[in-house]
Amino acid sequence: MEGLRFDSIGLPPEADALRRDVRAFLQAHQPRDALPDSDFNHGHDPQFSRALGQRGWIGMTWPRQYGGGERSFFERYVVTEELLAAGAPVSAHWIADRQSGPLLLRYGTQAQRARFLPPITRGESYFSIGMSEPDSGSDLASVRTSARAVNGGYVVNGTKVWTTDAHRNHFIIALVRTESGGENRHAGLTQLIVDLHSDGVQVRPIRNMAGDADFNEVVFTDCFVPDDQLVGRAGNGWEQVTSELSYERSGPERFLSSFRVLVELVRVVGPAPTEHQAAVIGRLAGHLMTLRQMSISVAGMLQAGLSPAVEAALVKALGNDFEKELPEIARLAAPHVGDDHRFRATLAQTLLHAPAFTIRGGTREILRGVIARGLGLR
Amino acid sequence: MDTTQLILDTAQKMFADHCDKALLDRAEQGHYAAQLWDVVAENGLPQLATSAGGGSLSDAFLLLRVAGRHALPLALAEALIANHLMGASHCEAFSGRISLGIADSHSAEGGEVNVALVGVPWARAMERICYVIGDPLEVVILDVSDCEITQHTNMAGEARDEVRFLGIPRRCSAPESIDVTHVFELMALSRAALMSGALERVLGLTIDYAKERKQFGRPIGGFQAIQHTLAVLAGQVAAALRATDAAIAALGSPHFSVQVAVAKARVGEAAGIAAEIAHQVHGAMGFTHEHQLHHFTRRLLAWRDEYGRETFWQQRIGKQIAQRGADALWDLVVGA
Repeated sequence: MEGLRFDSIGLPPEADALRRDVRAFLQAHQPRDALPDSDFNHGHDPQFSRALGQRGWIGMTWPRQYGGGERSFFERYVVTEELLAAGAPVSAHWIADRQSGPLLLRYGTQAQRARFLPPITRGESYFSIGMSEPDSGSDLASVRTSARAVNGGYVVNGTKVWTTDAHRNHFIIALVRTESGGENRHAGLTQLIVDLHSDGVQVRPIRNMAGDADFNEVVFTDCFVPDDQLVGRAGNGWEQVTSELSYERSGPERFLSSFRVLVELVRVVGPAPTEHQAAVIGRLAGHLMTLRQMSISVAGMLQAGLSPAVEAALVKALGNDFEKELPEIARLAAPHVGDDHRFRATLAQTLLHAPAFTIRGGTREILRGVIARGLGLR
Repeated sequence: MDTTQLILDTAQKMFADHCDKALLDRAEQGHYAAQLWDVVAENGLPQLATSAGGGSLSDAFLLLRVAGRHALPLALAEALIANHLMGASHCEAFSGRISLGIADSHSAEGGEVNVALVGVPWARAMERICYVIGDPLEVVILDVSDCEITQHTNMAGEARDEVRFLGIPRRCSAPESIDVTHVFELMALSRAALMSGALERVLGLTIDYAKERKQFGRPIGGFQAIQHTLAVLAGQVAAALRATDAAIAALGSPHFSVQVAVAKARVGEAAGIAAEIAHQVHGAMGFTHEHQLHHFTRRLLAWRDEYGRETFWQQRIGKQIAQRGADALWDLVVGA
């Protein structure tokens, strides 16, 4: 049945050595001052990203001519899951590595690849996602940011929102309307690479309930974007953004965001858990292992050149629910300790960010709709 | 097409042809499906996990998943594992009706043993019972004609009999590489595999029903509330299948012990959620005896309790993690 194809995939033998290399790298380069956080949106650290790029661990699957490593999706998987599990600061390069680069490899011109990809692989160039708008969240086709064709390019007007790290990234790939779609809402959409430092771009921070200001509102006012920053074909934006989703939805970042809470639960419980604590820890670890197997299955399909959109939605839906459930269960199973304790600090950090888990990258409700379509119900 | 797929396709067709509702109802009234067993045995399926049988242990579990899809009313899991153990113990091969039990204790004096086994599937209709016990492992074969059998059933109406024996049994030279914990793990995996198949069936039945059943002038599957409920069901089924397959793939590896614990716990959890959702979507119709849904949901509810409930396996994993410590947790997750 469609949507339920999760073949048994074992990681290749070279994965073990690579895993050891990543751990050795983290020993040397992971900052010690911050509380480890497995949320991929946390920890914007250009120094760390550059060191990672030097090791060849950004753009790992990309062609060598663009600075890539021509390695497999499985090897990339090992690197990303090790970084997340350790709570390393990966947010600076994350989006560029995960989806902007692959998007340009698929739809970009030769010149765009040559210009944008090598600095990404060096950990020097960071991208933001420009999809949501104040009036367009789950209903992405309703975006209103406009791009009017002018001599040599486009003039962009409108507002993007919830744009993670726009205040410190270099580019945003904005989904804009180049013409009215008319009857077909998915027509007339186009993707443009916009330099976040160009004239006519204003970035305003938005504080979240946890007190951070990672995400922003990005306002375009008569912002000129040259022709050579059009991605793919004008009017083909809908197909292009939906192709990003299999990459965006199935990775380990969709079930590891609260992993450090489980680590700290095991630590605070100690070597002699009660029966209840043992069952809680065993259950959460079991769910995690199963999600990981499902996610690796999707990586296998990506490696085979497939576009497993339904399977990816299923991994994200299950994974996000797990990320949210984990701190709730851990909280009740842990012994009583003060708020300054490492367990409580990790728990608080995760709980305060948990609302985002089932919203970012496609809400739980949207994902369930995608899955239902895969089951033939719509 | 590879041999495994050929076997599974043959079994799928065979089970689909025979396991209709009438057969399941009769089996649940206590009548053994002897003719079906003969067909299954003629095709060599019970010998699949013996070296002579041409298959492998992993094929046996894939076969059980197919059996679960059809609620096959035979002690096939027990026959597969009993024959596997007998093969590994250099026991005389046996192609007849055989079931399996794990004994908590038995007393042995001279050549004579005194043993009681509970929950033995279809003991009443078998020729032999294989039981295992203790450390080091003993594999003991009983002739059912020498046993005292008390009939019991589980909540799915499946025969789960009590067997008492006092006398001189057949014994096998026990395989050194297998301990009783491993046999228990194999049986737990058999239940995970059966549940995986039943979950696939429950999902299929529920989707079909949501597409056919009309209310308010349209199929109920057109309502977003039902669509989202079915998406949750599909997620649970997908996770259960993946966990089971991962454990099957880990057979013979050092990770098997953990993987089987994950599988039995994860599938057991999915079983309860899936049964609840399937019945909710089917409405009152699915609550009737006339409808076939309950043959699968009642088995899910019964099988999740056989060979270790979710908490048993979760605690086993949790204790291992606690002993190894927080910084080794990730290694266990990735199997490093």
